[in-house]
Amino acid sequence: MPDLKLNETPVRTARNFNCNNIVLKDLKIPENYKAFNNIEIDIDNSKIDLEEEISSSKLTYGLGDLLEEQAMKSPNKKIKLNIKGKSNKESIISFNFNEENKNLIDNIEIIAEENSKANIFIKYSFSNSTACKNANCENIMCEKGKNSEKLNNSYENYYHNGIIRLFAKANSSIKLTVVNLLNEVSQNFLSIENNLQENANLDFCIVDFGGKNSITNYYTNLEGEASKNNLNAIYLGKDEQVFDLNYIGALRGKKSVMNIEVQGALNGKSKKNFKGTLDFKRGAKKAKGDENEFCMLLSDTAKSLALPMLLCEEEDVEGNHSTAAGKLGGKELFYIMSRGFNKKEAMKLIVRAKFNKILDTISKEDLKNEILKEIDNRLN
Amino acid sequence: MEKNKTQVEEINRNIYDIKNKDDYDFKIKKGLTKEIINEISDQKKDPDWMREFRLKALEVYNKLELPTWGPDLSELNMNEIATYVRPKSKLNTSWEDVPEDIKNTFDKLGIPEAEKTSLAGVGAQYDSEVVYHSMKEDLIKQGVIYTDMETAVREYPELVKEHFMKCVPVYDHKFVALHGAVWSGGSFVYVPKNVKVDIPLQSYFRLNSPESGQFEHTLIIVEEGASLHFIEGCSAPKYNKVNLHAGCVELYVKDNAYLRYSTIENWSKNMLNLNTKKAIVGKNAKMDWVSGSFGSKISMLYPMSILNGEGSKTEFTGISFAGKGQNLDNGFKVIHNAKNTSSVINAKSISKNGGTCTYRSLVRINENAKNSKCSVSCESLMLDDISKSDTIPVNDIRTDEVEFSHEAKIGKISDKAIFYLMSRGLSEEDAKAMIVRGFAYPISKELPLEYAVEMNNLINLELEGAIG
Repeated sequence: MPDLKLNETPVRTARNFNCNNIVLKDLKIPENYKAFNNIEIDIDNSKIDLEEEISSSKLTYGLGDLLEEQAMKSPNKKIKLNIKGKSNKESIISFNFNEENKNLIDNIEIIAEENSKANIFIKYSFSNSTACKNANCENIMCEKGKNSEKLNNSYENYYHNGIIRLFAKANSSIKLTVVNLLNEVSQNFLSIENNLQENANLDFCIVDFGGKNSITNYYTNLEGEASKNNLNAIYLGKDEQVFDLNYIGALRGKKSVMNIEVQGALNGKSKKNFKGTLDFKRGAKKAKGDENEFCMLLSDTAKSLALPMLLCEEEDVEGNHSTAAGKLGGKELFYIMSRGFNKKEAMKLIVRAKFNKILDTISKEDLKNEILKEIDNRLN
Repeated sequence: MEKNKTQVEEINRNIYDIKNKDDYDFKIKKGLTKEIINEISDQKKDPDWMREFRLKALEVYNKLELPTWGPDLSELNMNEIATYVRPKSKLNTSWEDVPEDIKNTFDKLGIPEAEKTSLAGVGAQYDSEVVYHSMKEDLIKQGVIYTDMETAVREYPELVKEHFMKCVPVYDHKFVALHGAVWSGGSFVYVPKNVKVDIPLQSYFRLNSPESGQFEHTLIIVEEGASLHFIEGCSAPKYNKVNLHAGCVELYVKDNAYLRYSTIENWSKNMLNLNTKKAIVGKNAKMDWVSGSFGSKISMLYPMSILNGEGSKTEFTGISFAGKGQNLDNGFKVIHNAKNTSSVINAKSISKNGGTCTYRSLVRINENAKNSKCSVSCESLMLDDISKSDTIPVNDIRTDEVEFSHEAKIGKISDKAIFYLMSRGLSEEDAKAMIVRGFAYPISKELPLEYAVEMNNLINLELEGAIG
């Protein structure tokens, strides 16, 4: 397999800045895979259809032709949701990788009808494996009683390549949370594309913990007047994990609003490329965009690359971005350690505290607790 | 009722657009071949090592691709550019000896006057050669060298060989390679150990000849504990066809030294300004850049500080002003390569009348740069809805012991700020004028006085109504 260039930024910059795309060497893309069957679906107020044809139009950005074609032309799971009416119930689609379901190529399309409301969670996790190599650990993913040799053998290299497409019609209000809890040796590729019509409101949350490579392309087209998208994302890296996050918002509608808030922590030799773009198109008068990214560096071998772009061809807008990176605050650590915690525990507390602002937007308590436990496990 | 927009006038270019007759002593034929490079070397009586260097740079140029990013450079056709134009003047040390038409040009640009009042030394380049160079006596006595590059190659060969295109190697990018092949003119400054040059030196570059290029090379070495303020100015009259500027600035700021490099770039709007500037900064040394970019049709300019010495510092303060037909792609690059280094970047831009401003940058804090700090701030002001303003900063942090922050803003003049000032008794027009001048003030206060005046003239407000 030749080197694969993925996740191109909307605008290129100098090649030696190493951020126009990510290059993966020797990526093994599965060609023959069976249907993915380990799925739980619990959806309220919507028509769910696993057979209906879903959109085949090309993504505006996406991760690149090869992965996009795979997910469009030969998915092993297609899901189409038509959301009608209003519901506060938490709906969930949960994909659980295991020895029989190692490859997931999913194509999900969500149509939110006018005035509809929904709160949807999409989770990618695994079982029958472990995120640690110790059979006695408290990792919730561990199957207790199994010996450590067996667990190590089941430390699978899963493959996920997916597309999530949302079309939010006028006055719809959607909360969508995507949680990636795969292990650190899997491959995770995800393209997300949202189209927001007049007054549509989208609260999107991404929790990105798993994958040797976790490559995400997120694009929202704020087409409608007064449409709004809040994107909250957290990532947590360990070992040699690589995150390539390309979040793009195109503000076209008058008074449209896009807020991107990203918090992350990197441990071990993990690496993160954050590319966030607010693109104010001509005509987007009174549009507003804010973008903040903060990366906590938990080790001196972790690497953080950030490219927060502002593109603007309309004068009557407000655009702000800020990024920051640095070590955990010495004072914070000292204070917590003076209360009897060791350094690792203090570090976990601080990371959890930094993530809390975003985690608090997740209404599904059991999922939130699972994420909190994962943070602890992954920082062990 | 539709409000009239405030007009922010572009610079009055009457002075800069004075065209002299294209009356040269020698103009090389257009294009870029081995024969042409050899001819330039013959004309300049290069030593053998320089001839070989040029030919090697040409090979690199032919191998490298055009950038795959940034403004469209497709209109640049090297077969239409004459890379060497020798004016009808030798190098002079007295303004009286400079030929009348050239002298008149520099007189109108205010260069001799500035020399008398506020400078320690002046260099003036006309097309491809320096026509005037002088420096105050006391600096000569202290061992300061300020001369044109050709003289430096002849008279200080060891110093030049040791430093020439070592800071900016020819394979950096295509236009550096081009520069290496055809460079001509420019200034050489050497400030000996512990010598403080209190009054600035200034070089002024003027390109008069149409369909030609200027490729001056500036090499400055500030030895340990020494300090210098160097000012660079550039302009050209406007022609219908493309002119090219691909200069190169190499700065060596040794341990505990200080260098401030100020530039006012005011090329004509048919100029492609593809310039390269880089500084290597030693232990506890400081490198300050002040940059005003107003001219050019296309500009791609990203000065760079490499903080190699422990405790070294750099500061960049820059403003770009893009009007009709201009695409100014400017920014800054800094590499933190040692412990306790710090950088402060403050960039501003104003776009109007369909102009495009792009701020493009790189901050890299390497693994060995423990306890380093970097703070970046960039602000863009859009004055109408046909212009464009982009911010494309790359922040590459490779160690945890850092404090790094970056913030950027984009938008129009705040209604709230206008309202506040009006509530204090200012008229709407005065309030807006104050805000635009205030926006540019952090930059203009860093410029030498006469340039600050020039910049304020440039941001000449003609207030008719709401800027929004």
